[in-house]
Amino acid sequence: MNWSWWCTSSLRPWRWELTLYPGVWVVVGALLVLYFRLARNKVLARSQKIYFLLGVLTLWVASDWPLGPLGAGYLASAHMVQFVLYAMVAVPLMLMGTPEWMMRRVLARLRLYRITRRVTGSLLFSGILYNALLVTTHAPITVDTLRAGQLGSFAMDMLWIATGLVLWLPVLSPIPEFRAKTYLARILFLFLTTSVIAVIPASALTFGDFPLYNTYELAPRVFDITALEDQQIAGLIMKVATIPITWLAIGVMFFRWARQEGVPSTQPRHVDS
Amino acid sequence: MVLLVSGLVAGLILAACSTVAGSGDIDATGRFQGVELSEPTPKPSFVLTDTAGQPYDFQASTQGKLTLLYFGYTYCPDICPVHLAQITSVLDRNPPLRENTEVIFVSVDPGRDSPEVIRNYLDGFSEDYIGLTGSMDELRTAEEALGVPAAILGDTSDPDYLVGHAAQVFAWAPDGLGYTMYPFGTRQSEWAHDLEVLANLGGER
Repeated sequence: MNWSWWCTSSLRPWRWELTLYPGVWVVVGALLVLYFRLARNKVLARSQKIYFLLGVLTLWVASDWPLGPLGAGYLASAHMVQFVLYAMVAVPLMLMGTPEWMMRRVLARLRLYRITRRVTGSLLFSGILYNALLVTTHAPITVDTLRAGQLGSFAMDMLWIATGLVLWLPVLSPIPEFRAKTYLARILFLFLTTSVIAVIPASALTFGDFPLYNTYELAPRVFDITALEDQQIAGLIMKVATIPITWLAIGVMFFRWARQEGVPSTQPRHVDS
Repeated sequence: MVLLVSGLVAGLILAACSTVAGSGDIDATGRFQGVELSEPTPKPSFVLTDTAGQPYDFQASTQGKLTLLYFGYTYCPDICPVHLAQITSVLDRNPPLRENTEVIFVSVDPGRDSPEVIRNYLDGFSEDYIGLTGSMDELRTAEEALGVPAAILGDTSDPDYLVGHAAQVFAWAPDGLGYTMYPFGTRQSEWAHDLEVLANLGGER
Protein backbone atom coordinates (compact mmCIF):
# COMPACT_ATOMS: atom_id res chain seq x y z
CA MET A 1 0.00 0.00 0.00
CA ASN A 2 1.30 3.48 -0.90
CA TRP A 3 1.86 6.08 1.76
CA SER A 4 3.52 9.44 2.33
CA TRP A 5 3.36 11.99 5.13
CA TRP A 6 1.39 14.60 3.19
CA CYS A 7 -0.22 14.83 -0.25
CA THR A 8 1.84 16.28 -3.10
CA SER A 9 1.62 16.63 -6.86
CA SER A 10 2.43 13.49 -8.79
CA LEU A 11 2.98 12.31 -12.35
CA ARG A 12 1.48 8.91 -11.57
CA PRO A 13 -1.92 8.32 -13.11
CA TRP A 14 -4.77 8.69 -10.66
CA ARG A 15 -6.10 5.40 -9.31
CA TRP A 16 -8.85 4.75 -6.83
CA GLU A 17 -6.42 2.93 -4.56
CA LEU A 18 -6.23 3.96 -0.94
CA THR A 19 -3.05 5.87 -0.08
CA LEU A 20 -2.14 6.49 3.55
CA TYR A 21 -1.19 9.95 4.82
CA PRO A 22 -0.09 9.57 8.46
CA GLY A 23 0.80 13.28 8.67
CA VAL A 24 -2.89 14.08 8.29
CA TRP A 25 -3.79 11.66 11.08
CA VAL A 26 -1.16 13.23 13.35
CA VAL A 27 -2.60 16.72 12.82
CA VAL A 28 -6.22 15.57 13.26
CA GLY A 29 -5.32 13.41 16.25
CA ALA A 30 -3.33 16.21 17.88
CA LEU A 31 -6.27 18.60 17.57
CA LEU A 32 -8.66 16.10 19.16
CA VAL A 33 -6.27 15.15 21.96
CA LEU A 34 -5.54 18.81 22.72
CA TYR A 35 -9.24 19.73 22.75
CA PHE A 36 -10.44 16.93 25.00
CA ARG A 37 -7.42 17.13 27.27
CA LEU A 38 -8.00 20.83 27.87
CA ALA A 39 -11.71 20.16 28.33
CA ARG A 40 -11.12 17.53 31.02
CA ASN A 41 -12.94 18.42 34.25
CA LYS A 42 -14.57 21.39 32.53
CA VAL A 43 -18.15 21.85 31.47
CA LEU A 44 -18.46 22.04 27.71
CA ALA A 45 -21.76 22.53 25.89
CA ARG A 46 -22.75 19.56 23.77
CA SER A 47 -23.19 21.84 20.76
CA GLN A 48 -19.61 23.07 21.16
CA LYS A 49 -18.26 19.53 21.12
CA ILE A 50 -20.32 18.76 18.03
CA TYR A 51 -19.15 21.89 16.22
CA PHE A 52 -15.53 21.13 17.02
CA LEU A 53 -15.79 17.51 15.97
CA LEU A 54 -17.51 18.51 12.72
CA GLY A 55 -14.73 21.03 12.09
CA VAL A 56 -12.01 18.42 12.63
CA LEU A 57 -13.94 15.94 10.50
CA THR A 58 -14.07 18.50 7.68
CA LEU A 59 -10.34 19.12 8.05
CA TRP A 60 -9.69 15.40 7.84
CA VAL A 61 -11.90 14.91 4.77
CA ALA A 62 -10.23 17.86 3.02
CA SER A 63 -6.70 16.60 3.73
CA ASP A 64 -6.83 12.83 3.45
CA TRP A 65 -7.36 10.44 0.55
CA PRO A 66 -9.01 10.89 -1.90
CA LEU A 67 -9.62 14.65 -1.81
CA GLY A 68 -6.14 15.47 -0.46
CA PRO A 69 -4.10 13.92 -3.27
CA LEU A 70 -6.65 14.91 -5.93
CA GLY A 71 -6.36 18.54 -4.83
CA ALA A 72 -2.61 18.45 -4.37
CA GLY A 73 -1.73 17.00 -7.72
CA TYR A 74 -4.53 16.29 -10.16
CA LEU A 75 -7.48 18.67 -10.20
CA ALA A 76 -7.64 22.42 -9.66
CA SER A 77 -11.33 21.95 -8.83
CA ALA A 78 -10.46 19.54 -6.00
CA HIS A 79 -7.83 22.03 -4.83
CA MET A 80 -10.56 24.67 -4.63
CA VAL A 81 -12.96 22.35 -2.78
CA GLN A 82 -10.16 21.80 -0.27
CA PHE A 83 -9.75 25.55 0.17
CA VAL A 84 -13.47 26.03 0.74
CA LEU A 85 -13.57 23.18 3.24
CA TYR A 86 -10.52 24.44 5.15
CA ALA A 87 -11.15 28.17 5.23
CA MET A 88 -14.92 28.37 5.00
CA VAL A 89 -16.15 25.28 6.84
CA ALA A 90 -13.55 23.70 9.13
CA VAL A 91 -12.23 26.93 10.65
CA PRO A 92 -15.60 28.50 11.55
CA LEU A 93 -16.88 25.19 12.94
CA MET A 94 -13.80 24.77 15.12
CA LEU A 95 -14.07 28.36 16.32
CA MET A 96 -17.72 27.79 17.21
CA GLY A 97 -16.71 24.68 19.12
CA THR A 98 -13.96 26.36 21.12
CA PRO A 99 -14.87 27.96 24.45
CA GLU A 100 -13.35 31.32 25.33
CA TRP A 101 -11.22 30.03 28.22
CA MET A 102 -9.73 27.30 26.01
CA MET A 103 -8.76 29.68 23.26
CA ARG A 104 -7.22 32.10 25.76
CA ARG A 105 -5.20 29.28 27.25
CA VAL A 106 -3.97 28.00 23.87
CA LEU A 107 -3.03 31.48 22.65
CA ALA A 108 -1.22 32.22 25.92
CA ARG A 109 0.68 28.94 25.76
CA LEU A 110 1.69 29.57 22.13
CA ARG A 111 2.38 33.27 22.81
CA LEU A 112 0.02 34.20 20.00
CA TYR A 113 -2.41 36.46 21.87
CA ARG A 114 -0.75 39.75 20.95
CA ILE A 115 -0.36 39.01 17.27
CA THR A 116 -3.94 37.73 17.07
CA ARG A 117 -5.14 40.87 18.80
CA ARG A 118 -3.16 42.97 16.36
CA VAL A 119 -4.49 41.13 13.29
CA THR A 120 -8.08 41.37 14.45
CA GLY A 121 -7.69 44.89 15.85
CA SER A 122 -8.47 46.52 12.52
CA LEU A 123 -11.17 45.17 10.24
CA LEU A 124 -9.53 46.89 7.29
CA PHE A 125 -6.25 45.16 8.04
CA SER A 126 -7.96 41.78 8.51
CA GLY A 127 -9.82 42.20 5.23
CA ILE A 128 -6.69 43.13 3.31
CA LEU A 129 -4.70 40.32 4.91
CA TYR A 130 -7.39 37.75 4.10
CA ASN A 131 -7.44 38.78 0.46
CA ALA A 132 -3.64 38.91 0.27
CA LEU A 133 -3.50 35.35 1.59
CA LEU A 134 -6.31 34.29 -0.75
CA VAL A 135 -4.60 35.69 -3.84
CA THR A 136 -1.14 34.50 -2.79
CA THR A 137 -2.17 30.95 -2.00
CA HIS A 138 -4.01 30.64 -5.31
CA ALA A 139 -1.31 32.27 -7.45
CA PRO A 140 0.10 29.71 -9.93
CA ILE A 141 3.68 30.22 -8.78
CA THR A 142 2.72 29.49 -5.16
CA VAL A 143 0.61 26.45 -5.96
CA ASP A 144 3.13 24.96 -8.40
CA THR A 145 6.02 25.52 -6.00
CA LEU A 146 4.42 24.41 -2.75
CA ARG A 147 2.46 21.46 -4.10
CA ALA A 148 5.64 19.86 -5.49
CA GLY A 149 6.85 18.72 -2.06
CA GLN A 150 5.30 17.35 1.12
CA LEU A 151 6.54 20.17 3.33
CA GLY A 152 5.35 22.84 0.89
CA SER A 153 2.02 21.12 0.46
CA PHE A 154 1.60 20.94 4.24
CA ALA A 155 2.53 24.65 4.45
CA MET A 156 -0.13 25.50 1.86
CA ASP A 157 -2.83 23.66 3.83
CA MET A 158 -1.78 25.40 7.05
CA LEU A 159 -1.80 28.74 5.22
CA TRP A 160 -5.41 28.07 4.23
CA ILE A 161 -6.29 27.45 7.87
CA ALA A 162 -4.57 30.73 8.75
CA THR A 163 -6.54 32.42 5.95
CA GLY A 164 -9.76 31.07 7.42
CA LEU A 165 -8.81 32.30 10.89
CA VAL A 166 -8.12 35.81 9.56
CA LEU A 167 -11.59 35.83 8.00
CA TRP A 168 -13.60 34.28 10.82
CA LEU A 169 -11.93 35.57 13.99
CA PRO A 170 -13.48 39.06 13.70
CA VAL A 171 -16.86 37.37 13.20
CA LEU A 172 -16.93 34.23 15.34
CA SER A 173 -14.06 34.40 17.77
CA PRO A 174 -14.94 33.05 21.22
CA ILE A 175 -12.76 35.86 22.63
CA PRO A 176 -14.91 38.99 22.59
CA GLU A 177 -12.09 41.48 22.02
CA PHE A 178 -11.15 39.74 18.77
CA ARG A 179 -14.64 40.19 17.35
CA ALA A 180 -15.87 43.33 15.62
CA LYS A 181 -17.82 45.33 18.14
CA THR A 182 -21.20 45.36 16.38
CA TYR A 183 -23.15 42.89 14.30
CA LEU A 184 -23.35 45.47 11.54
CA ALA A 185 -19.56 45.71 11.42
CA ARG A 186 -19.24 41.91 11.32
CA ILE A 187 -21.81 41.61 8.55
CA LEU A 188 -20.17 44.32 6.47
CA PHE A 189 -16.72 42.85 7.10
CA LEU A 190 -17.75 39.37 5.98
CA PHE A 191 -19.60 40.64 2.93
CA LEU A 192 -16.93 43.04 1.71
CA THR A 193 -14.00 40.75 2.50
CA THR A 194 -15.35 37.75 0.64
CA SER A 195 -17.11 39.37 -2.29
CA VAL A 196 -14.87 42.06 -3.75
CA ILE A 197 -11.23 41.08 -4.39
CA ALA A 198 -11.98 37.35 -4.41
CA VAL A 199 -13.80 37.85 -7.70
CA ILE A 200 -10.49 38.63 -9.44
CA PRO A 201 -8.69 35.28 -8.96
CA ALA A 202 -12.00 33.44 -9.45
CA SER A 203 -12.54 35.24 -12.77
CA ALA A 204 -8.94 34.59 -13.84
CA LEU A 205 -9.60 30.89 -13.34
CA THR A 206 -13.03 30.87 -14.95
CA PHE A 207 -12.26 33.01 -17.98
CA GLY A 208 -8.59 32.24 -18.62
CA ASP A 209 -7.75 31.10 -22.16
CA PHE A 210 -5.28 28.51 -20.93
CA PRO A 211 -4.68 26.52 -17.76
CA LEU A 212 -2.80 28.66 -15.26
CA TYR A 213 -1.42 25.96 -12.97
CA ASN A 214 1.47 23.87 -14.24
CA THR A 215 0.62 21.24 -11.63
CA TYR A 216 -2.90 20.55 -12.85
CA GLU A 217 -2.26 21.16 -16.55
CA LEU A 218 0.45 18.50 -16.76
CA ALA A 219 -1.11 16.01 -14.38
CA PRO A 220 -2.54 12.79 -15.80
CA ARG A 221 -6.18 13.50 -16.51
CA VAL A 222 -8.93 12.42 -14.15
CA PHE A 223 -12.65 11.99 -14.93
CA ASP A 224 -12.12 12.80 -18.64
CA ILE A 225 -12.24 16.55 -18.17
CA THR A 226 -9.63 18.78 -19.77
CA ALA A 227 -7.27 20.91 -17.72
CA LEU A 228 -9.09 24.06 -18.83
CA GLU A 229 -12.55 22.71 -17.94
CA ASP A 230 -11.19 21.66 -14.57
CA GLN A 231 -9.83 25.15 -14.00
CA GLN A 232 -13.15 26.72 -14.98
CA ILE A 233 -14.92 24.51 -12.44
CA ALA A 234 -12.35 25.63 -9.86
CA GLY A 235 -13.13 29.28 -10.62
CA LEU A 236 -16.86 28.64 -10.27
CA ILE A 237 -16.36 26.86 -6.96
CA MET A 238 -14.30 29.79 -5.71
CA LYS A 239 -17.05 32.20 -6.80
CA VAL A 240 -20.17 30.24 -5.95
CA ALA A 241 -19.37 27.86 -3.09
CA THR A 242 -18.46 30.61 -0.68
CA ILE A 243 -21.71 32.50 -1.26
CA PRO A 244 -24.12 30.23 0.71
CA ILE A 245 -21.63 29.95 3.58
CA THR A 246 -21.09 33.69 3.95
CA TRP A 247 -24.79 34.45 3.48
CA LEU A 248 -25.75 31.84 6.04
CA ALA A 249 -23.37 33.48 8.50
CA ILE A 250 -24.67 36.93 7.57
CA GLY A 251 -28.26 35.72 8.01
CA VAL A 252 -27.56 34.24 11.44
CA MET A 253 -25.79 37.41 12.55
CA PHE A 254 -28.64 39.54 11.24
CA PHE A 255 -31.23 37.64 13.26
CA ARG A 256 -29.07 37.70 16.37
CA TRP A 257 -28.65 41.42 15.91
CA ALA A 258 -32.40 41.81 15.54
CA ARG A 259 -32.97 39.73 18.68
CA GLN A 260 -30.39 41.74 20.58
CA GLU A 261 -32.15 44.92 19.58
CA GLY A 262 -35.38 43.43 20.93
CA VAL A 263 -37.20 43.67 17.62
CA PRO A 264 -39.34 40.70 16.57
CA SER A 265 -37.75 39.59 13.33
CA THR A 266 -41.04 39.03 11.50
CA GLN A 267 -42.85 42.15 12.71
CA PRO A 268 -42.36 45.70 11.47
CA ARG A 269 -40.82 47.96 14.07
CA HIS A 270 -43.32 50.27 15.81
CA VAL A 271 -42.05 53.37 17.46
CA ASP A 272 -44.32 54.88 20.09
CA SER A 273 -44.22 58.61 20.27
CA MET B 1 1.72 47.45 7.71
CA VAL B 2 -1.64 48.11 6.06
CA LEU B 3 0.14 49.88 3.20
CA LEU B 4 2.58 46.98 2.84
CA VAL B 5 -0.20 44.43 2.62
CA SER B 6 -2.19 46.68 0.26
CA GLY B 7 0.84 46.92 -2.00
CA LEU B 8 1.27 43.16 -1.89
CA VAL B 9 -2.36 42.60 -2.86
CA ALA B 10 -2.16 45.12 -5.70
CA GLY B 11 1.05 43.54 -6.99
CA LEU B 12 -0.37 40.06 -6.88
CA ILE B 13 -3.54 41.12 -8.64
CA LEU B 14 -1.56 42.84 -11.38
CA ALA B 15 0.66 39.78 -11.73
CA ALA B 16 -2.38 37.52 -11.94
CA CYS B 17 -4.03 39.75 -14.54
CA SER B 18 -0.89 39.96 -16.66
CA THR B 19 -0.52 36.17 -16.54
CA VAL B 20 -4.05 35.73 -17.80
CA ALA B 21 -3.78 38.41 -20.46
CA GLY B 22 -0.39 37.27 -21.64
CA SER B 23 -1.21 33.61 -21.86
CA GLY B 24 -3.28 33.97 -25.00
CA ASP B 25 -1.30 36.59 -26.86
CA ILE B 26 0.83 35.84 -29.87
CA ASP B 27 4.18 37.51 -29.58
CA ALA B 28 5.03 38.76 -33.04
CA THR B 29 8.69 39.43 -32.25
CA GLY B 30 9.56 36.21 -30.42
CA ARG B 31 10.08 33.09 -32.50
CA PHE B 32 9.25 30.02 -30.47
CA GLN B 33 8.53 29.06 -26.89
CA GLY B 34 9.45 25.42 -27.46
CA VAL B 35 13.02 24.19 -27.74
CA GLU B 36 14.36 25.83 -30.88
CA LEU B 37 16.72 23.76 -33.02
CA SER B 38 20.09 25.29 -33.81
CA GLU B 39 19.13 25.25 -37.48
CA PRO B 40 15.98 24.19 -39.34
CA THR B 41 16.11 20.53 -40.34
CA PRO B 42 14.33 18.89 -43.27
CA LYS B 43 11.54 16.46 -42.61
CA PRO B 44 12.97 12.92 -42.56
CA SER B 45 11.84 10.14 -44.83
CA PHE B 46 10.56 6.80 -43.55
CA VAL B 47 7.67 4.48 -44.21
CA LEU B 48 5.56 2.82 -41.51
CA THR B 49 2.11 1.24 -41.42
CA ASP B 50 -1.00 3.23 -40.52
CA THR B 51 -3.98 1.98 -38.51
CA ALA B 52 -5.77 0.92 -41.72
CA GLY B 53 -2.84 -1.36 -42.47
CA GLN B 54 -1.62 0.78 -45.36
CA PRO B 55 1.97 1.96 -45.89
CA TYR B 56 2.42 5.54 -44.76
CA ASP B 57 5.21 7.57 -46.33
CA PHE B 58 5.79 10.18 -43.66
CA GLN B 59 7.49 12.79 -45.81
CA ALA B 60 5.14 12.55 -48.79
CA SER B 61 1.91 12.24 -46.79
CA THR B 62 2.54 15.30 -44.65
CA GLN B 63 3.84 17.59 -47.36
CA GLY B 64 2.67 21.19 -47.01
CA LYS B 65 1.14 20.63 -43.58
CA LEU B 66 2.10 21.60 -40.10
CA THR B 67 3.18 18.24 -38.70
CA LEU B 68 3.63 17.00 -35.15
CA LEU B 69 5.20 13.62 -34.52
CA TYR B 70 5.49 11.73 -31.27
CA PHE B 71 6.92 8.33 -30.36
CA GLY B 72 4.93 6.67 -27.62
CA TYR B 73 2.77 3.71 -26.70
CA THR B 74 -0.85 3.34 -25.78
CA TYR B 75 -0.18 1.72 -22.38
CA CYS B 76 1.94 4.73 -21.37
CA PRO B 77 0.60 5.79 -17.97
CA ASP B 78 1.73 9.39 -17.88
CA ILE B 79 3.65 11.30 -20.53
CA CYS B 80 1.95 10.13 -23.75
CA PRO B 81 -1.65 10.87 -22.71
CA VAL B 82 -0.66 14.24 -21.27
CA HIS B 83 1.21 15.29 -24.45
CA LEU B 84 -1.74 14.24 -26.63
CA ALA B 85 -4.27 15.90 -24.32
CA GLN B 86 -2.28 19.14 -24.40
CA ILE B 87 -2.09 19.20 -28.20
CA THR B 88 -5.76 18.23 -28.51
CA SER B 89 -6.89 21.01 -26.17
CA VAL B 90 -5.01 23.61 -28.18
CA LEU B 91 -6.15 22.39 -31.59
CA ASP B 92 -9.78 22.01 -30.45
CA ARG B 93 -9.83 25.72 -29.70
CA ASN B 94 -8.46 26.66 -33.12
CA PRO B 95 -10.36 24.81 -35.89
CA PRO B 96 -8.49 26.43 -38.83
CA LEU B 97 -5.19 25.39 -37.28
CA ARG B 98 -6.53 21.94 -36.59
CA GLU B 99 -7.53 21.45 -40.24
CA ASN B 100 -3.99 22.10 -41.39
CA THR B 101 -2.18 20.11 -38.75
CA GLU B 102 -1.25 16.45 -38.92
CA VAL B 103 -0.69 14.83 -35.55
CA ILE B 104 1.18 11.56 -35.91
CA PHE B 105 1.60 9.06 -33.12
CA VAL B 106 4.18 6.35 -33.71
CA SER B 107 3.77 3.41 -31.36
CA VAL B 108 7.09 1.92 -30.31
CA ASP B 109 5.36 -1.02 -28.64
CA PRO B 110 4.22 -3.21 -31.55
CA GLY B 111 3.82 -6.21 -29.26
CA ARG B 112 0.76 -4.73 -27.56
CA ASP B 113 -0.19 -1.87 -29.88
CA SER B 114 -1.96 -3.45 -32.82
CA PRO B 115 -3.39 -1.01 -35.40
CA GLU B 116 -6.83 -1.44 -33.79
CA VAL B 117 -5.50 -0.68 -30.33
CA ILE B 118 -3.73 2.42 -31.62
CA ARG B 119 -6.84 3.59 -33.46
CA ASN B 120 -9.04 3.17 -30.38
CA TYR B 121 -6.49 5.01 -28.26
CA LEU B 122 -6.14 7.94 -30.66
CA ASP B 123 -9.90 8.21 -31.19
CA GLY B 124 -10.08 9.09 -27.52
CA PHE B 125 -8.28 12.30 -28.48
CA SER B 126 -9.19 12.86 -32.13
CA GLU B 127 -10.30 10.69 -35.00
CA ASP B 128 -8.07 12.80 -37.26
CA TYR B 129 -4.84 11.75 -35.59
CA ILE B 130 -2.70 9.32 -37.53
CA GLY B 131 -1.35 6.24 -35.78
CA LEU B 132 1.65 4.41 -37.14
CA THR B 133 3.43 1.22 -36.26
CA GLY B 134 5.84 -1.24 -37.80
CA SER B 135 8.36 -3.92 -37.08
CA MET B 136 11.07 -3.16 -34.54
CA ASP B 137 13.51 -2.61 -37.43
CA GLU B 138 11.16 -0.20 -39.19
CA LEU B 139 10.58 1.68 -35.96
CA ARG B 140 14.31 1.83 -35.35
CA THR B 141 14.79 3.34 -38.81
CA ALA B 142 12.23 6.03 -38.02
CA GLU B 143 13.84 6.75 -34.64
CA GLU B 144 17.27 7.02 -36.25
CA ALA B 145 15.87 9.38 -38.86
CA LEU B 146 14.74 11.63 -36.01
CA GLY B 147 17.96 11.17 -34.08
CA VAL B 148 16.34 9.74 -30.98
CA PRO B 149 17.50 6.68 -29.06
CA ALA B 150 15.70 3.42 -29.67
CA ALA B 151 12.79 2.67 -27.37
CA ILE B 152 13.59 0.20 -24.62
CA LEU B 153 10.94 -2.36 -23.77
CA GLY B 154 10.65 -3.44 -20.15
CA ASP B 155 10.19 -7.02 -19.02
CA THR B 156 7.67 -8.15 -21.63
CA SER B 157 6.70 -11.18 -19.54
CA ASP B 158 4.87 -8.67 -17.30
CA PRO B 159 1.65 -7.65 -19.10
CA ASP B 160 2.00 -4.12 -17.66
CA TYR B 161 5.60 -3.60 -18.77
CA LEU B 162 6.78 -0.04 -19.36
CA VAL B 163 8.59 1.29 -22.40
CA GLY B 164 11.38 3.85 -22.27
CA HIS B 165 11.00 6.17 -25.26
CA ALA B 166 11.75 9.64 -26.55
CA ALA B 167 9.42 12.04 -24.75
CA GLN B 168 9.59 15.05 -27.07
CA VAL B 169 7.17 16.03 -29.81
CA PHE B 170 8.80 17.01 -33.11
CA ALA B 171 7.26 19.79 -35.19
CA TRP B 172 7.65 20.68 -38.85
CA ALA B 173 6.24 23.78 -40.45
CA PRO B 174 4.31 23.55 -43.72
CA ASP B 175 7.55 24.53 -45.50
CA GLY B 176 8.86 21.07 -44.57
CA LEU B 177 11.43 22.25 -42.07
CA GLY B 178 11.64 21.39 -38.41
CA TYR B 179 12.31 24.38 -36.20
CA THR B 180 11.43 23.19 -32.76
CA MET B 181 10.69 20.28 -30.49
CA TYR B 182 8.60 20.10 -27.37
CA PRO B 183 9.66 18.19 -24.27
CA PHE B 184 7.21 16.96 -21.64
CA GLY B 185 6.07 19.94 -19.63
CA THR B 186 5.25 22.18 -22.58
CA ARG B 187 2.30 24.35 -21.58
CA GLN B 188 -0.82 24.83 -23.68
CA SER B 189 -0.08 28.54 -23.97
CA GLU B 190 3.33 27.66 -25.44
CA TRP B 191 1.79 25.20 -27.87
CA ALA B 192 -0.81 27.74 -28.98
CA HIS B 193 1.85 30.35 -29.56
CA ASP B 194 4.24 28.14 -31.49
CA LEU B 195 1.68 26.32 -33.62
CA GLU B 196 0.42 29.67 -34.91
CA VAL B 197 3.96 30.74 -35.75
CA LEU B 198 4.83 27.42 -37.36
CA ALA B 199 1.61 27.30 -39.39
CA ASN B 200 2.56 30.58 -41.01
CA LEU B 201 5.97 29.38 -42.18
CA GLY B 202 5.21 28.47 -45.77
CA GLY B 203 2.69 25.93 -47.04
CA GLU B 204 -0.94 26.32 -48.06
CA ARG B 205 -2.29 28.29 -45.12
